[in-house]
This record gives sequence, structure tokens and C-alpha cells, in this order.
Amino acid sequence: MSVRVRSLKPWLFLFPAAFIYMAVVLVPSLNTLVLSLFKWNGASPVMIFVGWDNYVKLFTEDTVFKLALTNTLLWTIASVLILTALALLMAMLLNQKIKGRLAFRSIFYFPSILSAVVVAITWRWMYHPQGLINGFLGLFGVGDNAPAWLAEPRSAMESVFVTSLWFGLGQPLVLFLAGLQTIARDPHEAAIIDGANAWQRFSRITIPMLRETLIIVLATVFVNGMRVYDLIFAMTGGGPAESTQVLSTWMYFQTFTFANVGVGAAISWILIAISMVVIIPYVRYTTKKSEQ
Amino acid sequence: MAGFGKRQEDSVKKKIALGIVLSACLISGMALSAEAKIKVTLWGLSDQKVFLEPILADFMKSNPGIEAEFSPYSIDALKQALKVAASSKTLPDLWYTWGGSLGSFYVENGMTADLTKIAQDRNWAAKYNKAALALCTYGGKLSGVPYHLQAMGVFYPKDLMAKYKLTPPKTFSEFEANLKTLKAAKVTPLAFAGKNGWHLMRLTEVVLEHYAGPKLHDELLGLKASWNDPAVIKTFDKLKEWSEAGYFPKGFVELDPQEVETNFYQGAMAYNIEGPWWDSNMLSNGFDPATQDFFPFPTDQKPLRSSSFAEMFQVSNQSDPAQLDAAIKLAEYITGVETVAKYADTYGAPALAKAPASSKSPHVLPLLDTAAKGNFLIGDQALPQEVVQKLFEATDKVLLKMWTSKEAAASIQTAVDAYKKK
Repeated sequence: MSVRVRSLKPWLFLFPAAFIYMAVVLVPSLNTLVLSLFKWNGASPVMIFVGWDNYVKLFTEDTVFKLALTNTLLWTIASVLILTALALLMAMLLNQKIKGRLAFRSIFYFPSILSAVVVAITWRWMYHPQGLINGFLGLFGVGDNAPAWLAEPRSAMESVFVTSLWFGLGQPLVLFLAGLQTIARDPHEAAIIDGANAWQRFSRITIPMLRETLIIVLATVFVNGMRVYDLIFAMTGGGPAESTQVLSTWMYFQTFTFANVGVGAAISWILIAISMVVIIPYVRYTTKKSEQ
Repeated sequence: MAGFGKRQEDSVKKKIALGIVLSACLISGMALSAEAKIKVTLWGLSDQKVFLEPILADFMKSNPGIEAEFSPYSIDALKQALKVAASSKTLPDLWYTWGGSLGSFYVENGMTADLTKIAQDRNWAAKYNKAALALCTYGGKLSGVPYHLQAMGVFYPKDLMAKYKLTPPKTFSEFEANLKTLKAAKVTPLAFAGKNGWHLMRLTEVVLEHYAGPKLHDELLGLKASWNDPAVIKTFDKLKEWSEAGYFPKGFVELDPQEVETNFYQGAMAYNIEGPWWDSNMLSNGFDPATQDFFPFPTDQKPLRSSSFAEMFQVSNQSDPAQLDAAIKLAEYITGVETVAKYADTYGAPALAKAPASSKSPHVLPLLDTAAKGNFLIGDQALPQEVVQKLFEATDKVLLKMWTSKEAAASIQTAVDAYKKK
């Protein structure tokens, strides 16, 4: 086989996947970037080039965008910290030899296979002023003073976040469980013999040996947090008083409700830019690892 | 024997030839019938499937050359699908839409057929309600086939009102007195829900009509008057007052209208602003529409106007002439007198000049009568969508005590100014 054919071979194997990737990811993304530089309503034949104006107006004039950006960042940080810690804790508990652990694993994984809309509808009824949660609180005499969870800006976002924890726990839990099961018992046994306590074993053995899994979980939780949409849209529609708007939901309003396609495209690229802050180092790290 | 074999061979050859000829006839027949059938695509609402699907079946029976394909959507999904289709130039031949700024989008972007001449030729002025035709007209061009004409009133459970000896109020202060009586009797007076804003907006706009009067209200909707007007501020003040008095359900700002409906059907809440669709809603939920009645909201203004809007079928101007004709024919059939009469129980309020009555939908014709006496276009169609969203936000923030009424009014005016600069 000639040298030229040999050097083309990897590209030929790569071509089908690369073509699909370009067609469904790269080209639409670049198209969206171009759209973000225009004022366009999505249907008119006239598209007016406005340069970075859409981006500037978002940051300087759009008060809901600033709130949505803050909400998205807080939501993502909270997801990364709380969801990851909760999933790791549950995985460690479910990794113990306890009775019914298979059943418990199914129970905790089950919510993640439901659709977000089903979860939203179920939890809306639970959060209803006469719903399950306030009914339970009523047993302790708090019923009448119990908050309207989704109606108060202070509690609406937190309430939806709790739902997202219940909904999103399954996936990182399964990843952590798989990671924990690859850790041999020997280092732990040796550490016990050496007098290490539970926290020392956890921090010096478990966490370092779970590093790969931890990085994958953090990356996926981060990305899912940044692009949260359906749960919030179905539970609160971005309300009350726009207090639960995030970038994805505000992008929907700009694009489909107000027909400001350029502005919606700009929001999507701001979302991508923020996500790249984590994704690029993550991809570089995994690439380096695989080359080693 | 040789002769017999030849006869057999001839017979087989004849059978083969006959088979070929028959197949050719069948194929060309199929091709011919495929060519003769014109396909019309229609997008509409899934909760209208109950009468639309049988109507389409009837239409295709009496028009064998036309195939109508119906795609049902929920409300928000339809709005989104139409916008996506508009941007990719893949709109269906015929689609359902609301009026005002929701329907004007397709007209302004040159996507709808101008039906003005067809309406004149086919004398639609005699067939359809005048108000409905006006609501389907943009820039002097008729841009949709009128489908429903909706007018809203304040519905109430008759038994509940009889229990507390309350009669339909004729003035705003009588209405407030009723609210107070109901609250004292531990009945939730106002069955309104704030999620997505449009349900609560129905109350906001009639209170605004009370304070602003018809002329100023129309100017506000047309963005010709300032939303910093005292009438707007008084409207927000009144809503806040009613909220603090506990007239709304707990947590109503984020309740979904469907979550409030159940209590309202059961007579646990008093007043709700709904339209002619309410009868079929009650029927489909197993309740009798005759257990409720309605009154026009007492704005103390003359004329006494109710919030109304039209729904229409818009026709794509991208379809070929045969499809365009077929689509208009289909729209006329769906909205025709015979069709409406046949499906009157579930059809809702038709946009016809003379709408047939239905014993199962007793409120439809009386509601249309109120629209005939006076009406204004519903706020979320009259206003640009950015301003509508700001109105929803402002209303929520006043009720949640995050803004004063003055701040709320000012925020709406800021949204109006930003829209005008666009």
C-alpha cells in the first residue's frame, strides 16, 4: 500500500462520524453564531447586520437576561457541589453490603428515567399550596403558614432545584457506583491496619482512586446544569415575576415568543462560551490521559 | 396432441397478456388517482381534535379529490412549530392561529394569502360575523378565514351565588361587595391563576377598562398613550388590594389555570373569566354547563365592552394554486353553517353571522351577543409580545410586593419605548 493511501486511511475511517458531527453540530452552531450578529425575526427575507449589538444590549439593557445569567451560574455551581456530593454519598452507602441494596439502587435510579415534564407535573402537585408537602407540614400544625413554594420568588428557584436533585441523582450515582466497584479492598484493609480512620481512608484512598469518575461526573453535571430548561419551563414557566428564568428559558422567549432570533442566538452562544470554560480543560485532560 | 399443446400455449400467452394489460390499467389508475388527489396539510390545536377530525372525514367524503392531513398541537407547541416552519419556509397549507400580534406575524412577513377578493366574490360578509372579519383583517387585507369569535364574561356557579343570595353585579362596587361577602363566607372569590400570565391578565384588563375607559384603553393597547397613566397605576393598586384581602387562591401567582379549574367546576371558588369554550371544557370534564352562568364584567363604562378575539385559519401563499384553492375550500367547509350546526355541541363559538344554538353549550350565543354590544381586543394579542411579557412580569411583581404600582407602570412604558425603537 502506498504511503499516501496509508496516511489517508485514518481520515477515511473518520469521515462518516466527522460528516455527521459537522452536519448536526458544527454547521448549525456556526450558523447560530452568524445569526447572533443579525437582527432577524425568523421569517422575514430581510436580515439586518448589527454586529455585536445583540450581545451588548443583553448585558446593558436586558434586566431579565442578567437575572437569567445569575440564575444559571448559581444553579450550575449548586448542582456541581450538592448533586455531586449527594450522588457520591448515596453511592458509598449503596456500595455497602446491606439488605435490599439492589432494590435501593433501583429506587434511587428510577427518577432519572422519567421525562422531565412528568417530573415537573408530579412535583408541581407536591408543591401545590394544598399539595402533599403542605399537607405533611399540616400534621405538625404548620399547614396554614406553609409557603406557596412556587409562588414566592425566594422559594421558587430552590423548590425547582430540589426537584432537579431528585431527578438528576440517578446518573452520577450510577457512575460513582461503577467507579467505587473498581476500587480494590486491599488499600483500604492496609490503611485500617495502619490505623487510618474513615475520613482518612475516604480522602486519601477513595477520592484519589475515583478521580477519573469524579471528573466525568463533574463535567456532565456542569453541562446539564448550564443547559437546564425543560424542568424549569414546565414547573414555573420562568416565573413568578421572571425569578426562575435561566439562559435556556429566556432564549426560548426571545426566539419563539418575541421573534428576536438574533438575540436568542446570542444567548445560546453566551451559554456555549461559559460552558467552554470547563469543557475545553476537560477535553484536554481526557485527551492527555488517553495518550498516556 | 401437438394441437392441444399449441392451444394451451396460446391460452397461457393470452392470460399473460391480459395480466399485463390489467396491471398496466391498475398502475395507471393508481397514478391517475394519486395525481387527482390534492393534499392539504392543516395544523391546529389538539383540544379541537374532537370535532375537527370528524369534520375532516366528512369533507374528504364529499371531496374525494382532496386529502386533508391534520397535525394537532398543544397551544405553546403550535406557536413554536409555526415560528420554526415560518423560518424554514415549511408552513402547512392551512393553519389555525389567534388574531392580533400572534396572527399578524405571518401576514407582516408575507406568508399568508390575501383573501380579500375571494371574500368579496363569495360574499363572506353575509356568511361571517362582521367583527370576526374585522379581527382577521390586517392592513386592509383579509388574512384569515374566520373560525371562532370569542368573547369573555365572568362565570360563576349558580348554586354558590344562590346560597349567599348574590346576584350578578351591575356595577364595579356591587362586584366588590360580592367579593367581600364571599370572602367572609370563606369562599375564594376570584378563581385566577398566574402561571404564564394570560389567565390573570383577563382580570387585569377588565379592571383597566374600568379605570381607563374605552378610549384610553384602546390607546394604551395601540401604544398611543403612556402606560404611566394614573388609570394603569389604579389598576395595579386594585389588584394588589384584592390580593391582600385574600380574594385569590393561595399561591395563585404560580398556579396553573388548570389547577384552579377543578375547584371552580366544583363550586368551591366564585368568579372566573372565561369564554365560549368553557361549555365544552365543562362537558369534557364531566360537569354540566347549565350549573354555571356568566355576566359581563361591570366596568361602569359605556359601551359595556368585553374582551374578545378571533381565531382564524390562515392560508399559505407558498402553496400551488390547486392546493391554495383546496385549502380555502377546506377552511370554508370547517367554518360553514352546516358543519357548525352538525358539531354545535363541541364546536365552541363560531365566527358566523348567524351562529346555530346548542343545548349543550348554552353560553355560546349569549357571550357572542355581549361582543356585539362592545368589545376590545384581548391584551396578549393587542400588544406586542415583549410588552405582554413585561405586563405579566409587572403584575406578578406588584402582587408579590416587589414593585409599587408606579414602578410596574413605568416598566411597561419602558418596554413600549424599547419596542418602538426596534
